[in-house]
Amino acid sequence: MIEFQLDETSGVATYLQLVQQVHQALRMGMLEPGERLPTAQQVVADLAINPNTVHKAYRELEREGLVRARPGLGTFVTRSPSGTDPATQARFLAELTGWLRSARAAGLDPDDVEAIYRTAFRACFAEGVA
Amino acid sequence: MSAAIQASGLGKRYRRTWALRDCTLAVPEGRVVGLVGPNGAGKTTLLRLAAGMLAPTCGTITVLGERPAAGPAQLARVGFVAQDTPVYARMTVSEHLRLGGWLNPGWDNGLAQQRIAKLGLDPKQRAGSLSGGQRAQLALTLALAKRPALLILDEPVASLDPLARREFLRGLMEAVAEHGLSVVLSSHLVADLERVCDYLVVLVASRVRVAGEVSALLASHHRLSGPRRDPGTRHPAGQEVITESHTDKQSNLLVRTNEPILDPAWTVKPVSLEDLVLAYMSRTGDDTPTRQQQLGVVS
Amino acid sequence: MIRLSLLQFRVHAITALAAMAAFAILLAATGPHLASLYAASGISGCQPASCEHLASNFLQQLYAAGTYWVLYLLGVMLILVTPAVIGLFWGAPLIARELETGTSALAWTQSVTRTRWLTVKLTVGGLAAMAVTEGLSLMQAWWAAPIGRAVGHGGGGNYLAMGQFSSLVFATHGIAPLGYAAFGFVLGVTAGALIRRAVPAMAVTLAIFAVIQIATPLWIRPNLFPALRTVVAVTSLGSISLQQGGLDGSDFTLGAEALPGQPGAWLLSSGAVNAAGQPVRTTPAACTTPSVRNGPGFFPCLARHGIREAISYQPASRYWPFQWAETALYLALAVALAGCCFVRLNRRRT
Repeated sequence: MIEFQLDETSGVATYLQLVQQVHQALRMGMLEPGERLPTAQQVVADLAINPNTVHKAYRELEREGLVRARPGLGTFVTRSPSGTDPATQARFLAELTGWLRSARAAGLDPDDVEAIYRTAFRACFAEGVA
Repeated sequence: MSAAIQASGLGKRYRRTWALRDCTLAVPEGRVVGLVGPNGAGKTTLLRLAAGMLAPTCGTITVLGERPAAGPAQLARVGFVAQDTPVYARMTVSEHLRLGGWLNPGWDNGLAQQRIAKLGLDPKQRAGSLSGGQRAQLALTLALAKRPALLILDEPVASLDPLARREFLRGLMEAVAEHGLSVVLSSHLVADLERVCDYLVVLVASRVRVAGEVSALLASHHRLSGPRRDPGTRHPAGQEVITESHTDKQSNLLVRTNEPILDPAWTVKPVSLEDLVLAYMSRTGDDTPTRQQQLGVVS
Repeated sequence: MIRLSLLQFRVHAITALAAMAAFAILLAATGPHLASLYAASGISGCQPASCEHLASNFLQQLYAAGTYWVLYLLGVMLILVTPAVIGLFWGAPLIARELETGTSALAWTQSVTRTRWLTVKLTVGGLAAMAVTEGLSLMQAWWAAPIGRAVGHGGGGNYLAMGQFSSLVFATHGIAPLGYAAFGFVLGVTAGALIRRAVPAMAVTLAIFAVIQIATPLWIRPNLFPALRTVVAVTSLGSISLQQGGLDGSDFTLGAEALPGQPGAWLLSSGAVNAAGQPVRTTPAACTTPSVRNGPGFFPCLARHGIREAISYQPASRYWPFQWAETALYLALAVALAGCCFVRLNRRRT
């Protein structure tokens, strides 16, 4: 079963972090269709967060069509997010890991790497302005 | 959804000073409400009014639709844990549970015993020799085991170390998940509230500054930064400046608006709950935003 | 709520029971000997003529022995002081400690109203206070019964010979201790409720209680029932206090200490009056000659001049009405104070 983490410093809303972690797990193959997500009680026991936050995250995932809530039984994964399959994901993960290793060997520190990554990311995905 | 706490023009005066003034709130049920503000803002006064420990000087307050402490039935529906979590020093932990059972018809002894066991408290230990964190957990157990619909907590974690604090909030959230109760808790530590609260009330200098659902508040407040605008510049209607600060080259604003921000000169960033609370707390006067001049700017 | 009150009361209860037990042991150790002394004195079944003499002998014997006098005084002091101690240690902290420690926030937010909370606490504490004080009084009364009987037969001559209306005896016998106990306890609770801090409340309780307990025998008790007045012949008086003063004994004051024909009566005031009923202080000229005024002929001389003794008193038969009246007064006071407590508690100003 997936175990959620909370990054308090990221500035991202808690429920969104949970949603993103489910997306991540689905992409990486760590969560598969038919698996049950932890109950609100379990998440709350782990993270000491508001149970409504968990409900909100699960509702969002249900809205996206990724999970389905079955009353009395729990919330279950229905499918992966459309697009890439775990194999493609694994290939890009390997490539990026290689790149990171060479960057580190070349003497770049984590801040440099992060700056490079963010610049490239923004240029590619064009972050919107409200 | 009905209101857990409804106040209208609520005020409380001690001799000459007003501890709370013009307080108008409608806090919905089923929420975990955070009451934030600096020390002396009136948080304890508001919570004690809600718990029926104080009577208002003016205005009205109803809790779960009734006057606070109106009778045994209403008292049973509200649990209260006061600041410093008072307990009877000479009574043991198990005697406190017996107290709960004798004084509350709705007492859930199984729940109480389970919690005590899970927390690892020694039933025979006198409450006076418990640590701060253990006392807080005992007080919370007493309040939870009477199965209230609303739980009021006055700075329950203020004097606890970080681990005890986390454990307390964990226990509280588990209870909310299990029993669906409404919670109102006050704190002057915003970081804790971000995890657990979905409704926020900011109280500064005896008045309510802002109140609302956390998600709505975070969606309607934005940080704007961009080239310097003179402090007197007009902003579009529907945009309220909460705080602003200016250097000779740059202006940073915190605004509240439900309209989209169309001015391309601004970079818009989301606001964290802590920033939002601090902004409202640093506002002086009723409506005037503070103007912080940095680096000796001459207007 | 009752069980909680009892639980929270247990330390007080144990202390009280221990004190009572200690007192009981002391009395049980000496009581039978006292009783045997009384039996040996021959007062029971005495001839009317010799009763007074036998009784006085008995009392003298006890007084001289020392221990009985000390124990008697100890018992009396204990009974008088207990309501004050109860007011200080049971009453004053009842509400004040809850407020000081903040446990009031725990006690008054359970599913029990403040009114019910206080009602039960006052009842448990009040009943216990009355039981303890009256218990001590009954133990003392059992132990000191021989002394009382001796005094009843007219015994006198030392401090043991206190009449039933005397301040120390009246306040420690009968049902008066019940009233004092209830009052002392509720006084403490009220002081705690109004002052909101235990130690100052204890001080105020002690001060007010002491003032009232001194004022009652002096000004309140004598006026509970209208006094009876009578005028008797000066020659019929038994024990008196006579003061002669002025030049050649030209002034005199005559006080009666017992009323002939009214044993055990409480004399409130007495003084010589003339035939017209007006107070007299000047000795008639004929009675001022040294041989007359210093001899047994003084009183017949006064009588010949129409001087009699006016006495205002309460008869012995009124002993129990006085006990009931005073107890009722103190209980009413306790109830009034309790009312103040309820009002203050429900006001919730702070």
